[in-house]
Amino acid sequence: FALEKPVCLLKTLMYYPLALLLLAVTAQASVLTLKSPRFVVSDSTGNQLRAEPTASPVKLGARESLKITFQVVDKEDEKGVQPHQTFIRFYDESTGEEGIQPVRVTPGGKAKFDLNLSKPPLYLPPTSDKPLKVSLIIGTPNYDPISAQLFDLVLPRSQPAPVHPDEAVFHPRPELQHTFRPEQKVPNKFISLVFSGIAIAPWFVLLGLWSQVAPRATGLFSPSILPFIASLGAFEVLLFTYWVKLRLGDVLLYGGILGVVTVFTGRRALSSIAAKRTQ
Amino acid sequence: MFSLRRWCLLALSLAGVLVDAKSSTGDSVLVVVDPAQQDNYSIFFNGLKDQGYELTFRSPKVEKPVIIEDNVSNFAHVILLAPEAKNLGKDITPQSIVELLSLKTNVVVALPTKQSPLHALAAEFSLILPPPGSPLISYSPKRDTPSTLIPISVEDHSSPVLTKHIRPVWFSGIPQALGNNPLLIPILRAPAESFASEVTVTSGSAEALVDAAEKGGEGLWAGSSLSAVTGFQATNGARITFVGGAEVFSDELAQKEAEQYVQSGNIDFVKEVAAWTFQENLVLRIEKVEHHLVNGTEPKETYTINDNVEFSAYISKWNPAKGEWQPYSGLKDLQLEFTMLDPFVRTALPPVNGAPGKYSTAFRAPDRHGVFKFVINHKRKGWSFLESSTTVPVVPPRHDGYPRFLSAAWPYYAGAISTSVAFFLFSTIWLAGEARDSKKGKAAKSE
Repeated sequence: FALEKPVCLLKTLMYYPLALLLLAVTAQASVLTLKSPRFVVSDSTGNQLRAEPTASPVKLGARESLKITFQVVDKEDEKGVQPHQTFIRFYDESTGEEGIQPVRVTPGGKAKFDLNLSKPPLYLPPTSDKPLKVSLIIGTPNYDPISAQLFDLVLPRSQPAPVHPDEAVFHPRPELQHTFRPEQKVPNKFISLVFSGIAIAPWFVLLGLWSQVAPRATGLFSPSILPFIASLGAFEVLLFTYWVKLRLGDVLLYGGILGVVTVFTGRRALSSIAAKRTQ
Repeated sequence: MFSLRRWCLLALSLAGVLVDAKSSTGDSVLVVVDPAQQDNYSIFFNGLKDQGYELTFRSPKVEKPVIIEDNVSNFAHVILLAPEAKNLGKDITPQSIVELLSLKTNVVVALPTKQSPLHALAAEFSLILPPPGSPLISYSPKRDTPSTLIPISVEDHSSPVLTKHIRPVWFSGIPQALGNNPLLIPILRAPAESFASEVTVTSGSAEALVDAAEKGGEGLWAGSSLSAVTGFQATNGARITFVGGAEVFSDELAQKEAEQYVQSGNIDFVKEVAAWTFQENLVLRIEKVEHHLVNGTEPKETYTINDNVEFSAYISKWNPAKGEWQPYSGLKDLQLEFTMLDPFVRTALPPVNGAPGKYSTAFRAPDRHGVFKFVINHKRKGWSFLESSTTVPVVPPRHDGYPRFLSAAWPYYAGAISTSVAFFLFSTIWLAGEARDSKKGKAAKSE
């Protein structure tokens, strides 16, 4: 019943015993109440920093301590009861981490809970910036159970809970990309053009000189010489095609065929020239 | 003879509307249960039989049928529902149950409250059990049942194993504290107000609790970090579920009311537990993987550095209702790694629209050569593990694989082509030209 009530209303109910009468759910079953609850936050030298939990979260510094004392009594006859279960539960809603500590209660029902942060106890869950919800759980046979939200507690940050090394595999992992070597820089095309121009500059000189003294190719189309010139041309074409797309095996094949042809045409051409010379 | 319920189910099955949930690994189940208690679990067993499982019952005192024979498991699944038995037979020991799992047999174990060898079994799976004789107790919510019988309300999506809404479950048994093992999957968490303690409350019980907590370590078993029913999926895919007590399966708790006029969710809960453990739900597998160049179709023997490679995986999920594997495109965070000793590339493998079950991505092969692997290593709590590794060499470009006809080479092309053209022109002119000068020279000489 207690968890649904607003926290501030609960706090007023918790710390004003008369108002606890409203908490009785059934008339028959036995009900426990808390008598003289006291809540103190003090620092390392013992000065009281806060004596009442209000609606704002309770902040506890690294060397401060929190003391809660109360007495558990039967509502009807006001006798002290030592419940089987008197737990204070610290719960972090964002991560689901939880810490539970039993409170030592005397047979007369007097309970004392001390949280000293200069010696942080082991039951505290790992904390971050989010507040812990502190609640009191009381249960014992033959009485109605009590499960009451007390206040929000802000503790200093702690180490996170230890994680198994394989845990990362169970969640999506960060993406990785390979950094490639930078693309090789190609020099400016203009420079290439300039130097290509320098490379073919002699042709212009040649063409200029030829305009003055033209070579004469009179025997070009005679049947003994033209085949040889064609074979030489074919070799040049083969060389160019090899450069562009052929492979060595094909080139050797074509080259072999062409070579045989060239031998015959070459003999014919050169012997005809030699014959012309000796005439 | 058959009860009315069986006749109704028979009629329904003839009408073809029988709800059948089949396991992906087999239908034979061995149930180790005390024959005197067997009728207490009749709703659970009949439910399993109606789904199509073949149940074989074995008493803890009898040693047949043997579970493992000649290194082969005789059954596809085993249920150990005899927590009161002091020993379960010579062939059922913690070591043999672990061997069952390595033989891919799934197990459901009901843990006893008293000391038993099954406590050692639970410790193998990183579960820390409370001392013997301290079951889970909760005084809230206020109810008529004893403090050891606890109604636990189940939130939707609290555990990946529970795929549908479950009404509050009655639980009686011991809690388990979970170790730091990511293979553990809590199925039903204990309520926040519960704790493990001796049942009889004496004057020293409260003191004992405080002393146990102050002892440190795992002195106090309390709160919602405890689990009442825990599952564990081994790395080979076999599943084992530890249930804190056998009463969860009983007919009495199945028919008890959890809240006002609301029947307890025990039947649905144990059905879901059995469905997950017996590899019906949340079972995936990779059908095949393929890889090829982005614009190609056939996988290449070796890839070249800086190639654009496309990788596809086909994943299906077991459909228990139909009893078949169906393509499944529901994995949103599947990742692919391209690894040579360390992952070089890790990208998401998104599902492809229009091809059910196909997940595909394209990436550029790194510019380091070596032997790489396409690795899929997808592990999520509750789901079967997807692991696949395809080895592929990545080689540097061959002598003719480099870029050609670069602009920086134009001067060289110009020079070489000039040389060829010049040779051709020269030889043409020489061959075709007149031999005038020699004639003139001879004529001059002869004169």
